[in-house]
Amino acid sequence: MREDRLFLLLAVLIGIFSGLAVVCFRLAIEWTQITLLGSSLVPSFPRVVLAPTIAGLVVAFLALRVFPAVRGSGVNQTKSAFYISNGYIPFSTVIGKFIACGLAIGSGQSLGPEDPSLQMGAGIASLIGRRLRLSQERLRLIAPVGAAAGLAAAFNAPLSAVLFVIEEVIGQWSAGALGAIVLAAVSSVVTMRAFLGADSLFRVPPFRVAGAFEMLAYVGLGIAGGFASLILLKWIVYARPKLMALPRWTHYLQPAVAGLLIGLIGIRFPQVMGAGYAIVDQAMHGQFTWKILLVLAGLKLLATGFSFLSGAPGGTFAPTLFIGAMLGGAVGAIEHHFFPGLTGTVGTFALVGIGTLFAGFLRTPITSVFMVIELSGNYTAILPVIISTMVAYGISRAYQKVPLFDVLARQDGTVLPSLEERREMMSLAVEDAMRPVNVVVCEPGDSIPDIARRAEAQPEVALLLRVKPGEWWILDRDEVIRMAPDASPTTTVIRVKSKGPLPYLFPDQTLSEALAVMADWALLPVANRANLAKLEGILTLEDTLMAFRKAPKEE
Amino acid sequence: MGKAVQTPAGHAGRRQASREMILLLCVLSFLVLFSFTALVSRMYHKKVHGLADQWFAAGEERLQAGDSAVALTDYRNALVYSPNNTKFQFHLAEALAAGGHYDQARPYLLALLSESPGSGEVNLQLARIAAANNARADALRYYQGAIYGEWKDDANSTRWQIRRELCEYLISKGAINQAIPAALDLDENTPENDPARLKIVGQLLLQTNQWVRAQALYRSLLRADRYDEEATAGAGRAAFELGEFSAAIEDLNRLSPERREQADVASVLEMAHRVLAMSPFLAGLSPQVKAQRAANALSIAELRAQGCARETGQSLVETPPRTELQVAYATSQTMQLNWDLRDLQKFPDRLDSAMQTAFDIENAVAQTCGEPQGDNRALWLLARSRSAVNR
Repeated sequence: MREDRLFLLLAVLIGIFSGLAVVCFRLAIEWTQITLLGSSLVPSFPRVVLAPTIAGLVVAFLALRVFPAVRGSGVNQTKSAFYISNGYIPFSTVIGKFIACGLAIGSGQSLGPEDPSLQMGAGIASLIGRRLRLSQERLRLIAPVGAAAGLAAAFNAPLSAVLFVIEEVIGQWSAGALGAIVLAAVSSVVTMRAFLGADSLFRVPPFRVAGAFEMLAYVGLGIAGGFASLILLKWIVYARPKLMALPRWTHYLQPAVAGLLIGLIGIRFPQVMGAGYAIVDQAMHGQFTWKILLVLAGLKLLATGFSFLSGAPGGTFAPTLFIGAMLGGAVGAIEHHFFPGLTGTVGTFALVGIGTLFAGFLRTPITSVFMVIELSGNYTAILPVIISTMVAYGISRAYQKVPLFDVLARQDGTVLPSLEERREMMSLAVEDAMRPVNVVVCEPGDSIPDIARRAEAQPEVALLLRVKPGEWWILDRDEVIRMAPDASPTTTVIRVKSKGPLPYLFPDQTLSEALAVMADWALLPVANRANLAKLEGILTLEDTLMAFRKAPKEE
Repeated sequence: MGKAVQTPAGHAGRRQASREMILLLCVLSFLVLFSFTALVSRMYHKKVHGLADQWFAAGEERLQAGDSAVALTDYRNALVYSPNNTKFQFHLAEALAAGGHYDQARPYLLALLSESPGSGEVNLQLARIAAANNARADALRYYQGAIYGEWKDDANSTRWQIRRELCEYLISKGAINQAIPAALDLDENTPENDPARLKIVGQLLLQTNQWVRAQALYRSLLRADRYDEEATAGAGRAAFELGEFSAAIEDLNRLSPERREQADVASVLEMAHRVLAMSPFLAGLSPQVKAQRAANALSIAELRAQGCARETGQSLVETPPRTELQVAYATSQTMQLNWDLRDLQKFPDRLDSAMQTAFDIENAVAQTCGEPQGDNRALWLLARSRSAVNR
């Protein structure tokens, strides 16, 4: 079987395996939670403190002694596999992630199962790819394919998973991987749904959003979300290296201390413990007053910081959704108090808040918008989500230049690219470097004496021969001039020795693309996209290098 | 295509076989993992469904015991394990609404309504919440939804109860005109062999001023049981409101002395007697008594008009008269000489116009100074009954 076909088949297989693994993972978390904290939303007193504390000790031991690669969320580890280790993720990481995250989240640590699912998917994919001895290129690509499958199953949101993997893990739109990523995501979601049902993660009561004026309310939410995400970002960015620098023995205690603090919060506000999907659902059904929503948002932010900074393995997605929903609900309720005419309910604001904080904290704006739609199964909120998300994203970018995952990677000693970073890079186009057509362009029927006369006046050493639209050949100017005296007026340039066909460019193509096809051609034609016979300009290697030299330098 | 992972030369065939073997292993692993996941998932679902039912039952128990706060937590716990269970959602919403947490109950109910717009019970809960929130238009809409919605058990009886609830709600809000259709609906949808409900409908008909219907309903009840006190009181009240004062007295006098002494009956009875005592239109009265009563009526009406004018600071006399009261009062003043006791006795045909003027004055004063009391009320009620008779 051809490897590209095998790759697509593997994507489906990876999707199915990841889906099954995620189902087991979610069930393990739920079961652990019921066992450790009880089946009530309000755990009894000794449990609420003891469970996360003792589990924290076990988790720390597992993370430090048994499965050292399971610390953190898993996104950067997957990204590292893609960029650094040729798609290699040891399968022990998958097992470790399953056990340690299941225990941490199930015991009430304020973390989520999505990012670990992503890494587990990538790990499964990596194992299958290695066993099948795929080429190095395919092996690298297979990790993101598995990541998309894992995330899609965890979120029950294939589109968001695909976008997240492209925005955050690969960091670029890769046509080669896109088909496989989509296939894997879809097959994992289908598998997951076969066991856990097809319902959206959150059920939002019906609502409508009316009027342009009302959008201002969501700008307010975007501002609040932007600054809330900044608080969490800055805290993690500041405190993580400090905690990591503490003596190693303290690392064994950090998850337990975080568990203890969360447990203490949980005595009064058990809602902040664990992933908190049920609480988000309640917020969307308007079950809390704005004061409670605000308190829950603040406490969840604290609890998430404790858990994440302690090194307990687990994801930041679910806590981000939780904080966003609570903050959104609170902002919505407050705005409703002052503007009772707002048609959006508190649930609407909670839903929009999810995307808002996600965009501000994880800096994946496109994923955030689609995620809200997929998680709620509701398209009505699209406009408010876009507005609020973009405001939060803008604020986050303005005050925290480097995105969270990039900072974490650098703190861990690696430098990984991101789509945001690539978006920032200046991209020079052919039109920035090309020059006007200052060479003689001749047709196959032109006579050599005529062309020689015209060529004598031009500075370039080459002439362009247009055989047909989109097919250009190059002629040596001196050769034409040399042949002219002996040529009759009817001798055409077709008799002159030529080289070609030349690759041609378009003005909007990047100079990097131009360089790739430049080879040792003296010049390349730049054609018009609407009319291949028409020349827009010509490009030489000197022009290209000059354009790079003149380009403004990045700070 | 990227660089292939290095393999020893001449091992391509073996590599192919190896790939196939691994794919086969993948399929086998898939079967094992799938079976395992199915098993675990089944166990899990069994467990969580058990938990959900357990919490729900606990919630029901607590609610019945009156501990609604704990019941709410129990229902919420049940929903954690069965988030799409509409029964749990509805019970939670019901408990929230019962505890006055309308804003929290509403989103669940709206979500349920979007899933099943024809649900009678969801519409009813939403109607009650809207009623409690003074959103009358919403309340009406949801009550209608509840009346015409789906009900599993005893739909007719439930719809009857909702119509009654709607009617009572509208009456309590003073929206009598909107309550009339609901009362009439009830009248038409109440079986004739159900006296208890018929009495409720009778009361609602009285409260919505549907005297004729109310009287007919009570009379039908009395035909079945002529000693039914409530029906007798209702019939008496309806007769009184219809201006059939003799019939009202007759009905009310059939009541037990204890019932007659109750304020609502006693006041009606007293007023009916007063009206009859003041009416010059009763058959069998001598011309002298008729004249006396007419003259009396005029003087009572004039005194009331003067009192009202003093109270409001308005003038009774203006040239030309502008208001209805001024016109009526001017008529009585102008006709004073023609309507004295002697003339009324001598010319009985003037009695009607004299009484009409007294009625006009009472009606005009009632509009300015409110409904009258005592003799003035009797006169005003007489005017109303005469007007109904004329119509």
